[in-house]
Order: sequence, then structure tokens, then C-alpha cells
Amino acid sequence: MLRGVRLEALDIEPLAGRAGVGIDIILPGGTPVNVPSDEEFVKDSPYILRKKGDAYAITDLKKEVAVRIVPIPSFYGRKTKTGVLFSDIAKVHGSYAVITPLPYCDFFKNNIECRYCAGNFSGAGKKEKAYSVDEVLETVDAILKEGGLNIIYLSIGFSEGEDGGILFLAPYMREIKKHFNCLIAVEALPPKKNHWIDDTYALGADSVLYNLEIFDQELFEAICPGRAKSIGRGRYIIALKYAAGVFPNGTVASHLIVGLEPPGSTCMGIDFLTGIGVVPILPIYRPKKGGALRIEPLTGEVIIPIYKHLYRAVKKNNINMNWVRDISSITTPIEGRLLTGEGQGGINLIFDQFYKSRLGLKTAWGLSTLRRKLRVKSPKEPEDL
Amino acid sequence: MKKETVAAEIDRRSIWLLLIVKGRRILFFLALLSFLWYIVSIPVPEGLTPAGRNAIAIFFLCLILWVSNVIPLAITSLFAIVLVPLLDVLPRKEVYGLFGNEAVFFILGAFILGGAVMHSGLSNRIALFIMGRFGASPKRLLLSVYLLSAVLSFFMSEHAVAAMLFPIVLDITKSLGLKPGTSGYGKLLFFSLSWGCVIGGVATFLGGARVPLAAGMLREITGKTIDFVSYSVAVLPLVAVMLLVGYLILTRAFPMDVESVEKVHEFLEKRIRAIGKVSYTEYAVGLVLLLTVIAWATIGKITGLSTIALTSVVVLFILRLVRWKDIEAYVNWGVILMYGGAIIMGTALEKSGAASWMAERAFGQWVVNPWTAIAFFSLFALLLTEGMSNAAVIAILLPVGVGLTQRFSMDPRIVTYAIAIPAGLAFALPISTPANAIAISSNYVTVKDMAKLGAVMTVVSWIVFNLVARFYWPLVGLGY
Repeated sequence: MLRGVRLEALDIEPLAGRAGVGIDIILPGGTPVNVPSDEEFVKDSPYILRKKGDAYAITDLKKEVAVRIVPIPSFYGRKTKTGVLFSDIAKVHGSYAVITPLPYCDFFKNNIECRYCAGNFSGAGKKEKAYSVDEVLETVDAILKEGGLNIIYLSIGFSEGEDGGILFLAPYMREIKKHFNCLIAVEALPPKKNHWIDDTYALGADSVLYNLEIFDQELFEAICPGRAKSIGRGRYIIALKYAAGVFPNGTVASHLIVGLEPPGSTCMGIDFLTGIGVVPILPIYRPKKGGALRIEPLTGEVIIPIYKHLYRAVKKNNINMNWVRDISSITTPIEGRLLTGEGQGGINLIFDQFYKSRLGLKTAWGLSTLRRKLRVKSPKEPEDL
Repeated sequence: MKKETVAAEIDRRSIWLLLIVKGRRILFFLALLSFLWYIVSIPVPEGLTPAGRNAIAIFFLCLILWVSNVIPLAITSLFAIVLVPLLDVLPRKEVYGLFGNEAVFFILGAFILGGAVMHSGLSNRIALFIMGRFGASPKRLLLSVYLLSAVLSFFMSEHAVAAMLFPIVLDITKSLGLKPGTSGYGKLLFFSLSWGCVIGGVATFLGGARVPLAAGMLREITGKTIDFVSYSVAVLPLVAVMLLVGYLILTRAFPMDVESVEKVHEFLEKRIRAIGKVSYTEYAVGLVLLLTVIAWATIGKITGLSTIALTSVVVLFILRLVRWKDIEAYVNWGVILMYGGAIIMGTALEKSGAASWMAERAFGQWVVNPWTAIAFFSLFALLLTEGMSNAAVIAILLPVGVGLTQRFSMDPRIVTYAIAIPAGLAFALPISTPANAIAISSNYVTVKDMAKLGAVMTVVSWIVFNLVARFYWPLVGLGY
């Protein structure tokens, strides 16, 4: 994830599970990872992805690790009734299918977008060009029929308003929950009022992400001017803390991008977030051509301790780490555990297998639905005779 | 795209606590069914048949459900209908046949007749006319509201009367500029409305469905009948005394803090002008109702009250005075189901011998003569009706009361009256009867006012009822 892989086999391209950038592979432990393959810095990578017979391996010419390439989901090539490619609406990242109903962010309009932004947003186009609920429902149907994917990740960029985009996402969430037995994660910007967080949960979100991205105050303001100006770091923290009290343990998460601030600062962020019940998840900054935001040096020796710290901090604060996991482009606490060598066998292995299984996903969905039914107060029905 | 929001509220209590709180309904029913199973599996006590034991088990299950109101009263009755044949208390054919009881159809007819009167606008016109004609001074206006509520409740469901008069009385208080919560006259008007309805509602078979229910249960259990006239003859003196005492209590409790009601007259005149002249429908519905009451009084014993009621209903439709869709809103099917079930429950208790067995064991030591029986059951009915549906009070107490009368060779109609009449006299709480709830909803009468005066009125009701029963009833052939 840090250096990327060079693709030597020509026939990898059409097979690769492309989520926009990089290539999705499965490591020997079954962990999905999105590896940079297209960026400029990849050409200096010592790692090569090779085809060996019917299998694949990553090698640095000294050692070799067998990997599997995630096949392109079959729905990618199909279209909605309105003629939109499913792959334009949804991208698969490990066990998550990310849907961005409105690929638009107001930060771009005002030139205060996040400086590292490689997301699915832009300032081009118009707000009216959102995918319709029906288009999204068709896509979700195709995703779920694909199998192995049971978490729909709805993502929205910044828009003016106090709701953080929840009003916009509400009909999507409502209709997805109405038609499908799947879990929904929502990535949004923190709403200005906490009651929108209650609404997010009540509407059907099983998990929520308010991505702080950078813990250091000054770097946050410099790299994320839109977030700093329109929302403020303080509001992120308040919203995350509040959400951790509303959503189930381990379902409120926040990105801390590794490589945009000093490792010590990332570790402080991990400690802080886990202290308020939030799961920090760590993408690695992938510099674009000419990008100069990355903290250097950023090597395995620097970032592996961060991942280990992530796992230990989450464990120390008794946060469930089985919810936010297996997202190929991000390192979650579960992957941090692999690096520590702790909790690799016995009961943890059984739980891991269970959480990944169809039964595990159904159980998670059932428990999440039951919890929502218990927690969300609905208006009292009038008594009849 | 349509925007939507949920304005959700999140319950942050422990998830285990929430599971218990929200699962309590299931736990409650599991406990209830376990209780039922336990009773039907214990050895049959001496003097009781297995069917009687099972009838008692169903009775207590229904008692708990009726009192707790966990499920609608009507559904509890349906549950009883299911359980009675299932536990071999009565044959299935007989159980469903009991639902075709005359009382059930009388209640249906009364609902439709009352609905027709209200829908035609006749009752509204009478109310406005009486208040406008007789309400010249604050005192007379108050009496008009009080007596009008009572008299209309002789012929229509008291709930319907309260609902019909409420907006008129509310407009009167507004036209007088009375301050909610503090105005003595405002309190008096709404107390008059609710007490008038409550007291008037026990005067005839038509004031509420509870008397037909009691009559129906009595008929199924003992074969004895109560007719329209003899019931009213027995009750009217009680109603007269209660109306008088009620008026005295009210006028001493609150001051009449208005000097003139001229503004009310302006308002009433405006309303009367607005509804125009008496329509053909009003005349015709009024005539049908009048003929119905005359028929009940004269040939009711021969043809049966329900036959007359249903004939009148058919006439209303033949003459196109009402349409079914107009009437549907006035027919409370829940009450009809509830009463059908209550009759089945009562019959099951009686025919299985459970009623007399239970009565003997539960009340035998306190009820030593007919006088104590009346005192005891009337007190119980008065107290229970404050907290639960009056029909449920009858369903619970009547089979037991009738069972007990066998001990004293007492006319079962007397104990039926001793339960059915006090079951309608609920004064103290807004939950007791819709008329009280309507008075509270005006914001002129407070719950504290109602509880205080209602408690006094309950005691008075019990004393007056027992005096009437002791000294008047023997004069009309109800001696004991």
C-alpha cells in the first residue's frame, strides 16, 4: 500500500478489481488490499505483481508472496434501466460497495477542497445530476446478487446546510433498508446539530464515518481548508463523540490519513479517537504527480508501529473491531492485529471466520436491526378500543 | 428530489433494559399463558367440574386483559371466544351461536339509530334550541346544558352526546371570555356536560351499551329478561335524585363568575340561523326515533327490543334518510365484538357452574344477605368503573353476582341492576368515561377538580343507589 506494485503481466489489467485507482488483491490471510499500481511513485516500487500459471504473486525478486486478484464484479459491465453503468454508481472496496449518489462537493466550488482529495467528488457538474433512488436501488440489487458484499457504503461530499447531507441521503437509506437486508455505512460530513446524527441512525445507517483525516490542528487547517472553515475540527470531535453514543460500539469511524502528518500526531489522533469510542481507520496518502504533501520519510518502519498502535488502542478501549473491517483501500484495526501477531488463533480465528461468513453478516444485520428497533423511539400509536 | 426527515429520538438506556422494557409485552403474554396452563392443569377442586375450572382460568385471563387493557377489549373478547370451546367449556357451535345474542343486535341498532340522529343534525338543532330557549341567565344556561346532556343521553350514547355538545359548550365559554383553568363558570359548564351525560346515560337502555349487555348476559345465564320500560321505571328516580344532588354539589363547589349570558344568545342565534329550517331528514329521523321509543315501551316485551331497533334501522335506509357510509363512523364494531365475547364468557361461567362456585368462595363470607349483596356489588362496580371500561366491569362482576343470588333465592335482575347501573356512574377520573375525558380536554376542568368532586359524587352515588334499591325498588316489584 505504501510503495505500490508494478504490473508485469499484461493480462492482469482486464482481470483486476479496479476500484478507481490501484488494484484489489487478497493477501494470504484473506485480507483485501488495494495496492497502488497507476500512480507515478509506483514506477520506483521494488514490488512486482506476476502471473504464475493460473495464480499470482508479488515479489521483490528475493521473496515471493502468493496473492489472489479480486475479479472485476460482474455487475460492473451492466447498466441501469436508464442506461447508467453500475460501475459509475458503485465501486467495490473489499467487502464494501461504495455508492456516491451525488459526486459533487461544494468545497471544489469555493476552491477550498481538501488538498489530497482523490475521492469520487468534484466541483464539476451540477447538484441536480444525482443518481436517482431507483438507479441506486437497481445498483444495490446488482451488488447484493453478486454475493459476498453486504455493506452498502453511502458517501456524500460537502454541501451547505446544517444536516451534513443526511437530508439528501435519507430517501436512499430509507429505500435501501425497505427493499434489502443489508447493512448501510454512511460517510458524510458532521452535521451542525446533533439531532441529525440521531436521524442518521434512525433512518437506517448501521455505521457512520465523519472523517477527520488529520488530527493535528494546524495541518488540518492547512490541508483541509474547507473542512476547517465550514465545519471546524471541534465540531468533528463533538459529532464523533455524540455518534459513538448513538451507534453501536465499533461502528463510528474516522479516517486519519497516514502520511499527511507526523506519525506521532497520527498516534495521538488514534488515542484520542479511541478514547471517545471511535474507530480510527488509516488510509495511506497516495501522492499524485507533483503532489508534495507527504511526510517523508514514509517507510514500513515508520508506519507499521502506527498500525500496531491502532490495534492496541482499539483493544484497550474495548471497541468492537469487527464492524469496520475488510475495506481494501484502508487499514483497519483488524489488519493492525495481523501486524502485532497477537490474537491470531483460537477464538479470534473462529470469530473472524464467523464475521466474514454469510451467517455472520446476516447475524450482524439482524442484531443491528433489533438494536435500532429498541433504540429509536417512534411516535406513540393512538390506543383503540 | 423530495426531502424527508424523521426527527428521531434515541433511547440511550442500557440495551438489556430496553430489551426487557420492549419485550415485556411478550413476557407478559408468556406469563399469562403459563398461568392459564397452570390453572387448567391443576386437579379439579371439590364442587367444580373440569369445565368450570377451565372457565375460571379463561375468566381470570380475560379479567387481567380487560383490566390491564394490554390488547383492545374487543380482542380480549375474541380470545375468550377462542378459548371457551378450545378448553371444552362449551361446545363450539353453542359459543358462536351466543354471539348472535339479541343484546348484540340491539346495541348495533342503537348505534345506527344514534348515528342517524346525529348525522341528520337533529340532535345538534335540539341542543342549540334548548340552550337558546331556556338559557336566559347564567344559572338557567347551566341547567340547560346539564339537563340537555342528561336527557339526550336517555336516547343516545352518552359518549356521542358529550362529543356533540362539546364544541357548542366550548364556543359558549369562548363567547363569555372565560379563562380556562380558573373560571368557575367554565368549570361548571363542562362538569355539567360530563355529569349530565354520565347520570343521564344510566336512565335507559340507550344511554350506553352496558345495560343491553347486562340484560343479554342475564338472559343467557338465567333466561330472565329486562324490558325497556321496567328498567327505566326502576332507574329514573335514581337519575332524578342524582341530577339534583350533582347540581347542588357543583354549584356549591364553583362560583358562577359571570353576570350575563347575552353574548351566548347572540352566538346561539347565529348558529341556529346557520343551520336553517328543519329539514325533511330531521323530521323523518325524529319521527322514526319517536316511534321506536314508543314501540320499545309498548310492544318491546312481545317482539324484543332488538327487533324493533333493527326494524327502525331498515326503515331509515328504506326512506334513504342515511347512507351506509355515513353511519359506519358511528358504529363501534369494537364494542359489539367486546359485548359478544362478554356474553359468551358469562354464559360459560354460569353453565359450567364456575360462577356460583367462585361467588361462594370469593364473596360468601362478606355477602350474607341480599342487602349486603347489593351494597357489595354496587360498591365494587362503582370503584372498578373509575379505572376500567364499564362493559368490562359488567363482564367481570355479573356472572359472579348472578351466581351468588342463587344462594338467597334472590331475583337475579336486582343484582344485575346493582352492577349495571353503578358501572355507568364514573365521575372521578378522565379515563373512566369519554364524557369525563372530554371535560378535561376543555382545559377548564382540571384532573384535580374532577378527582375531588368525583370522589364525593361516587360516595353520594353509592348511598343514593342503595337507598333507592332498599326503599323504592320493592314498590316496582323488585323486592328482596
